[in-house]
Amino acid sequence: MPFSYGSRQSISRSFLGEFRPSLFLAEAMPLKWVLQWQPNPGTTVNSQILAEVSQCVEGINGVKEGRWKATLTYYKPILRDQAMSPEMPRDFIGMSLPEQPNKYYFTLRSHRIVVESDVSVQNIMEKLQSYKSRVALIFEGFQYQLGDFQLRVGKVVPSHSENLRGIVMEVEYLPISSLEKSRQIMEEFIDIWQEALSKRSLPGHFIHVEPNFSEYGLSDHYTSQHTAVQYATVMAQLIASAQAVSTVRN
Amino acid sequence: MECVVQGIIETQHVEALEILLQGLCGVQKERLRIHELCLKSGPNLGAVPSELRILCDLEQPEPSWTVRHVGGSMRGAGAEQISVLVRPMVESKASKNVLRFFYVLGYKLDHELLRVGFAFHFQRGVQITVTVSSVNKMLKLHATDEALPVTPGMQLVEVTAPATSENYTEVVAAVTSFCEHLAPLLHLSKPGISTGVVPTAAAAAASLMSDGGGTTL
Repeated sequence: MPFSYGSRQSISRSFLGEFRPSLFLAEAMPLKWVLQWQPNPGTTVNSQILAEVSQCVEGINGVKEGRWKATLTYYKPILRDQAMSPEMPRDFIGMSLPEQPNKYYFTLRSHRIVVESDVSVQNIMEKLQSYKSRVALIFEGFQYQLGDFQLRVGKVVPSHSENLRGIVMEVEYLPISSLEKSRQIMEEFIDIWQEALSKRSLPGHFIHVEPNFSEYGLSDHYTSQHTAVQYATVMAQLIASAQAVSTVRN
Repeated sequence: MECVVQGIIETQHVEALEILLQGLCGVQKERLRIHELCLKSGPNLGAVPSELRILCDLEQPEPSWTVRHVGGSMRGAGAEQISVLVRPMVESKASKNVLRFFYVLGYKLDHELLRVGFAFHFQRGVQITVTVSSVNKMLKLHATDEALPVTPGMQLVEVTAPATSENYTEVVAAVTSFCEHLAPLLHLSKPGISTGVVPTAAAAAASLMSDGGGTTL
């Protein structure tokens, strides 16, 4: 049966079938969707959910490959006169991603800016003494291979504690770099995944909020800058849900 | 960190300098066309006022961007005894929106320059770069096509070499030794300490031009 993106049967064959490395071109970056766990109203995220999600990936034949880790830092301005507080960005994020160990990414979501630079830029930021780290978060967990898909499930924790702040999941489709061309197959995969996960009756579900990449000057061809923008979007969602929970409590 | 010395040469002798450098370095020159933007922190930003440079390499088919931070030079009796400036320098490549990024962070454009000339990158025990360029100012914001020389008839020569706190004495020695070869044409010294043009330049240039750099100066 020829491969097509059109039917659920085809996608099932694709991700449950053999991994085909020949489809993965070294110069093309596979695209990914970054999903986050959205707890049901009145519930919070906990490590039991993380364990069940990981089991569920293995339950659909995901082969555990190893660990992955990304770090994210929120920067805040150092102001000489705190009373004189001009409009400084509050959503200034710096990120290191495992897929590009020699690069560092900055995002300013409110201004729709993503910048790719060398890791040495962190050194420059330190020397400038104009911004400092407000909070650092770590995303870490396991990576799984599932046919043409690579999944990463990870917890979100502050750098110096084990206090679980969220759960993220990366769904990477290795053969394609075009966001538009892969949209249908990604949607179908997510449907199958949500269906598998729903059998566990967990108090929440994964959501995917796709940023408008063109606002950041990014094209349909996927790059690590797209990943940085997705993480900045995930962080904004996590903060919004945490604020919503505390508002309900108060 | 980096080791650096600078000097000036009259434009009429640049061709001779190029012949000499070609002979000394044994590599082809690279054309240089760099738009340099100097940014300073806004009035209230930062523990101390800060400054950085954003360089756009216009020689590349697709202009490439670099952020550079240069720190205060090494001080003390030891630093004064050497004829080369040693200072911290960090560079990072960046995507093309890096200028807008720093504006949003609260940095302001202080001034901008266009450097046009050539560079030699070569190995002489350590990695050395020599740039010979005319420094141009823009009359209108970012108007690199309408740039005018800051010092007409004069070009800036800069010799730089990357160094670490472990090997800088070795790098300083290599740079000093290399500069001696250029002495008849120009004198190189620490940036900020201008020694002007050298009186032997015209004779040295004439000699180089007559035999294509074959004579040992």
